[in-house]
Amino acid sequence: MTPIQMTFSTMFLLGLMGLTFHRTHLLSALLCLETLMLSLFLATSLWALQLSTINIACVPMLLLAFSACEASSGLALVVATAGTHGSDHMQNLNLLQC
Amino acid sequence: MSYLVCVLLFGLMVGSVGVASNPSPYFAAMGLVMVSGVGCGVLICFGGSFLPLVFFLIYLGGMMVEFAFSAALSAEPYPYGWGNRSVKMYVAAYVLGVGCAWKVLLGKWSGFWGGILDESGELLVLRGDMMGVAAMHDVGGWILVLGGLGLLLTLFVVLELVRGVSRGGLRTV
Repeated sequence: MTPIQMTFSTMFLLGLMGLTFHRTHLLSALLCLETLMLSLFLATSLWALQLSTINIACVPMLLLAFSACEASSGLALVVATAGTHGSDHMQNLNLLQC
Repeated sequence: MSYLVCVLLFGLMVGSVGVASNPSPYFAAMGLVMVSGVGCGVLICFGGSFLPLVFFLIYLGGMMVEFAFSAALSAEPYPYGWGNRSVKMYVAAYVLGVGCAWKVLLGKWSGFWGGILDESGELLVLRGDMMGVAAMHDVGGWILVLGGLGLLLTLFVVLELVRGVSRGGLRTV
């Protein structure tokens, strides 16, 4: 594996682990999700650039557009959580706990 | 030039570890800013011109600014930085994991890895990735329409999620 491939694969795994082992804030989990999207953008852009497959360069643009959709939905959820629970702490989201 | 790529890849790793260790969102957004800036540099080193610009403008200037504004929702008097003990443990674990993975998987690599693949030897204005995005506007017009409709749908989704009173996503406010 070349170092650049190792880098964006490791970035993806780090973002995934940061999202899995979330701690206090919902917003920092969303930022780990953004790291995932960022690593995918880097991966697809480097695919287009390194392999000279020019038409794949549209994939990072569309990925960015749909990741903006997802980020805005996540931020709307953070705003909703801050509205009902007063903060975005993850331990307050315990309505389904027995 | 390959040393510059090495330094930028290291910067990517440092920023990702900084975000993944889940400090307070103020600091995690800072890590993501660093990752976007360095990622833009990586793409430039590999010959892109339009895609790094999109990365910097749209991602950093658009989405990160939203996250920076929303970080005010997670305000606390003593935010956890990377010097905090619990965050430092996560940082140490991730650095150890990344170091072990790199040592094991990249133990021996052969060949010229940091080489900048550039198919022409001169400076060009219209580079490959710009032509790819132009192709998206040309023959891929329908996917742009689909993307625009998806974004419009997301706008309505967001508006419904934060609407209070009785019929929105927030029932108690």
